[in-house]
Amino acid sequence: MNDAPASALALRHAAEEDASAFPPLLVEAQELAGSVMLGEHGRRRSGTGDDFWQYRPLQQGDSRRMIDHRMSAKGDQQFVREREWQIAQTIHVWSDLGASMRYASQAAVPQKIDRARLLTLAASILMIRAGERVGLTGGLLPPRRGNIQVLRLAEMLSQTEPQDYTPPEHRALIPHARALFVSDFLGPFDELQIALGKAADRGVRGVLLQVLDPSEVDFDFQGRTRFQSINGGIEHETLKASALRTRYIQRLEERRKFMDELCQLAGWRLHVHRTDHSAQSALMWLFETLQRSAA
Amino acid sequence: MTVLAGIGFSAPWLLLGLLALPVLWFLLRAVPPAPRLQQFPAVTLLVGLTDEESQSDRTPWWLLLLRLLLVAAAIIGLAGPVLNPNTADTGRGPLVIILDASWAGAGHWPRLQNQIETDLQAAHRAERPVAVLSLTKPDALQFQSADTWQQQIPGLRPQAWRANTTHLSQARSALENVETDFDTLWYSDGLASEAEAIILPLLETRGTVEVIEPPTPIMALNPVTFQDGTLHITAQRNHAGLEQTVALQAMGLDPSGTLRALSTTPLTFDAEAKTAEIDLSLPAELSARVQWYGLQGVRSAGAVALSDDSLRRREVALISAQSGNEGLALLSPLHYLRNALIESTDLLEGPLADLLPAQPDAIVLADIAHLPATQETALIAWVEEGGTLLRFAGPRLAASDTARTEEHPLMPVRLRAGGRSVGGAMSWGAPKTLAPFPDRSPFYGLDIPAEVEVRSQVVAQPEPRLAERVIAELSDGTPLVTRKSLGAGQVILFHVTANAEWSSLPLSGLFVEMLERLAISSGVGQPDARDLEGTTWAPVQVLDGFGTLGEAGRLAGVAGTALLTDPLSEALQPGLYQSEGRAIARNVLTIDETLTPPIWPANVTLRGFASAAETVLSGYFLALALVLLAADIIATLGVSGLLRLSRTAAAGVIFITAIGLPHSVDAQDANPQTSAAAEVTLAYVETGDAELDRLSEAGLHGLSLTLSFRTSVEPANPQGVNLDQDELAFYPLLYWPVSPNQATPSAAAYEKLNAYLQSGGMILFDTRDADISTAGANSPATRRLQQLARPLDIPPLEPVPQDHVLTRTFYLLQDFPGRQRGAPVWVEAAPNDAEQIEGLPFRNLNDGVSPVVIGGNDWASAWAMSDFGTPLYPVGRGFAGERQREMAFRFGVNLVMHILTGNYKSDQVHVPALLDRLGQ
Repeated sequence: MNDAPASALALRHAAEEDASAFPPLLVEAQELAGSVMLGEHGRRRSGTGDDFWQYRPLQQGDSRRMIDHRMSAKGDQQFVREREWQIAQTIHVWSDLGASMRYASQAAVPQKIDRARLLTLAASILMIRAGERVGLTGGLLPPRRGNIQVLRLAEMLSQTEPQDYTPPEHRALIPHARALFVSDFLGPFDELQIALGKAADRGVRGVLLQVLDPSEVDFDFQGRTRFQSINGGIEHETLKASALRTRYIQRLEERRKFMDELCQLAGWRLHVHRTDHSAQSALMWLFETLQRSAA
Repeated sequence: MTVLAGIGFSAPWLLLGLLALPVLWFLLRAVPPAPRLQQFPAVTLLVGLTDEESQSDRTPWWLLLLRLLLVAAAIIGLAGPVLNPNTADTGRGPLVIILDASWAGAGHWPRLQNQIETDLQAAHRAERPVAVLSLTKPDALQFQSADTWQQQIPGLRPQAWRANTTHLSQARSALENVETDFDTLWYSDGLASEAEAIILPLLETRGTVEVIEPPTPIMALNPVTFQDGTLHITAQRNHAGLEQTVALQAMGLDPSGTLRALSTTPLTFDAEAKTAEIDLSLPAELSARVQWYGLQGVRSAGAVALSDDSLRRREVALISAQSGNEGLALLSPLHYLRNALIESTDLLEGPLADLLPAQPDAIVLADIAHLPATQETALIAWVEEGGTLLRFAGPRLAASDTARTEEHPLMPVRLRAGGRSVGGAMSWGAPKTLAPFPDRSPFYGLDIPAEVEVRSQVVAQPEPRLAERVIAELSDGTPLVTRKSLGAGQVILFHVTANAEWSSLPLSGLFVEMLERLAISSGVGQPDARDLEGTTWAPVQVLDGFGTLGEAGRLAGVAGTALLTDPLSEALQPGLYQSEGRAIARNVLTIDETLTPPIWPANVTLRGFASAAETVLSGYFLALALVLLAADIIATLGVSGLLRLSRTAAAGVIFITAIGLPHSVDAQDANPQTSAAAEVTLAYVETGDAELDRLSEAGLHGLSLTLSFRTSVEPANPQGVNLDQDELAFYPLLYWPVSPNQATPSAAAYEKLNAYLQSGGMILFDTRDADISTAGANSPATRRLQQLARPLDIPPLEPVPQDHVLTRTFYLLQDFPGRQRGAPVWVEAAPNDAEQIEGLPFRNLNDGVSPVVIGGNDWASAWAMSDFGTPLYPVGRGFAGERQREMAFRFGVNLVMHILTGNYKSDQVHVPALLDRLGQ
């Protein structure tokens, strides 16, 4: 998939192969999104919008055009009909499509990249249904609303990237928008630092979703093992893998702590998702958090 | 061969390889197991972590030990280890193996073969040419390599005789023909023979002689004799010294016709005795069935004493016209017969009508001229089946017109009226004496006492066939005893009376001997040569060396004089011999023969059997090395962490285990019939049309699912049944879709089907063509159904009546649709006397389950479900169609309930509930 196609035929073949993953992803994401009931509507306060919010008595300063005559005619008092505040937010999503995500330790567990795409797309669908504008970071897909945007997102997410660890894409963020970064965040830490710094500079708040394979969390390896990154760029050989376990888990915890601290500084939220857990719980968390951060 | 710790090695220098093991230890220690390659995105977190322990860069000690054991096992295996090596110095040059190969060695023959094999192995190692000589079947000596002879050892058999002078002289000349010197290995059978005198001196001049003595004492039975009403049995052994008890078995056919031990008696040799004797008294019925007496656990012809006529008492019925008259005992026609026969036979006396059903061996009619017609017919039938009818003449016969004008079936010859008297007061001439018996007569060879004379007799009509029927005649040529065969039996007429009235024959010993020759009586004790003179005996069954009785095949007959006295050989094998309806057994031992062990000269080496045979251990060691190799593979995988995750490795382990334990895998073959017997299983008849069979299976699958959901019947997966091969008894219901081009089952299959129907099975015939015809009409499938069902045992049928129990076994049904609807469904007709009782909705109909249900509604299509429980075929249209499918399922449920519960719902107990549900 990530190899450069040698000819037009190979390109077509690779494209079709890629495209073949696209409808299932879309269907899966729609299904997953459908499982979340949109329990909260609107912003629960008066503002510009189409839906009725409340009647209130006419106050000083209200223009006469604002009087709702149908209501006012019922009595002596004059009422103003307020509408619910409705405003479309912009959400930038970024899903790590790098090689390190293409990993699953067991056949029963999906690859991290599949889970990341699924969650990203499902969250996007929910947001679009809620009337928000969703787009990719980096100017690849500007934020738009509507169902056609879901298709575009799915198409973009179906691609892959060749390098081992992709740095989070932080360019072309609309100020004060919200963002969703989905990755394993196992690459260089300073890249993440830079990305969150830039985002914070523009007033963008958001969510980091760290997707990890169970073996990456538990590190249940034994014996003499040579560990390799997916592309083989980084290697580490050990004579007794089980002896590394506690120190590895310690390092993983440290990284998470750093990320937590970073998030607190930038006003972001962090969640860790294991691919052997259900996607739905992660989606619920994402939805709740994105809603709340938008409010 | 080098011997280390009781184990010999054929290539001991290879063991030096064991010295290399410590080197191997260091080499193996230095090479750790290869690392496993693992893709791991989080490797970035690992970079920089160093190993705290450096333990596993060395191979674990137990793995090292395993590998060293592996190599050691391979080295030892290749060095050719031999357990219990035969270290005897076997010498050089040709070797002659002499086998006595007689019945005496048969008891330990397998051990003897093992011993020969061991000695041949030793000879093979010493590369000595070997010749084998059986004294009971001497052939020219052939020197061959020992391994060639090894292949022939299983073919060696002991003979049922011992080497006699002829054999020994042949053997001696064979040995003399050998030009070189040779050593001798002589497997003695443990009994003295002339071989020590004839062959041994020759052998000693040619080389060393080693004699191998049998490991167990030899035991044999003398012929069984009959003395004073008991069987006298004598057993012999060749060595005294220990008290020994063996079981004596009387073998014969039990009433069901199986050969078994009819009686078992312990027989004890006293410590110092070489002979054990026992008197056995068996009931007459039992002793008549005994075929031989044998020593339990001794497998040799010598331990078998065959039973013959001398041990069997014949049953003879004596019938005379006069009832007993005390005053005239000496004149009674039966008196002399009774005295002649009482010793050796069981006598039956009484009216013929009572005695015939007892099926005696012989019937004696003393002076009876006429028999009632029914008895005569029965008697003729009895003779034709092999009975011997012995008639004596007398005044009544002489006076009657029996066999006067034409031959009577029960008379050998026609008689002249009146008979004749010679030498009496009113006649000329002297009483006649007997002429010598002709050589074709059964009496040939018997001495005729001078005092026997005949005064009166009945006279045979001259006839063309008279001469061949005469077996004894008077000195003037008149027939005295005539005989003819009738069917398988014979009719014999003594032309004189059975008492001393007409002749003095009954007073002489000749009379008894004649009766004996005619097999009327069997002689007491063994017959002697004089008795058997002039007779020829054909072998019927002969014993082999192991004491097994087999058919004699085409062995030649034996002269009577030779039978009892000549030494046994190929020509005279021990066994059962027959002549003229009599049977004599020739046993291995003669009466009073004893067993003596041979006495070997002092310069002959005596040796016993080796306690344990050589065992070559190479294979075991190499197999151990292979097992260790397999263990090493698994252990290496385990050490490098590959075993835990790798499914292929797990499969490999299972594969290796499967190789090691082939039996346990075989034992787990599931038998569909076993499961069918354990659970309710619906079945369909395989029609040979794959599409149709799939439909039937899917249909029954759907019905089974429906039953599981709705009722307490939870059937297993449906089974296809091949009528020709499968057992039907396990299946309550056979669904039989009929297609026009279906093959007719075989006759055996129809038998099975009929048995199935009679034992409560049900067949549901489905012509599946209700859309184009109603059942009973003339569609191709219906015609085929008629042909298929014709050989079946099917009762009269009728369309299901409204009150049939099938309409209410589970659901209340009015009709029985399938994918089609409307066609009548036929079941067994109700009995004619079933009448509706006033006030009750149902007649009390047939008690059992209808053996067949015939229809054409294509139920299987309506029932058919996929694995997910979705219907496979459309039924009708829309809701009405689904309703029809539901009704089809209800019919299926009712049908299975009907089969499983029978007429339960026919019981009037259910009437109120049913009435309630029917809303009446």
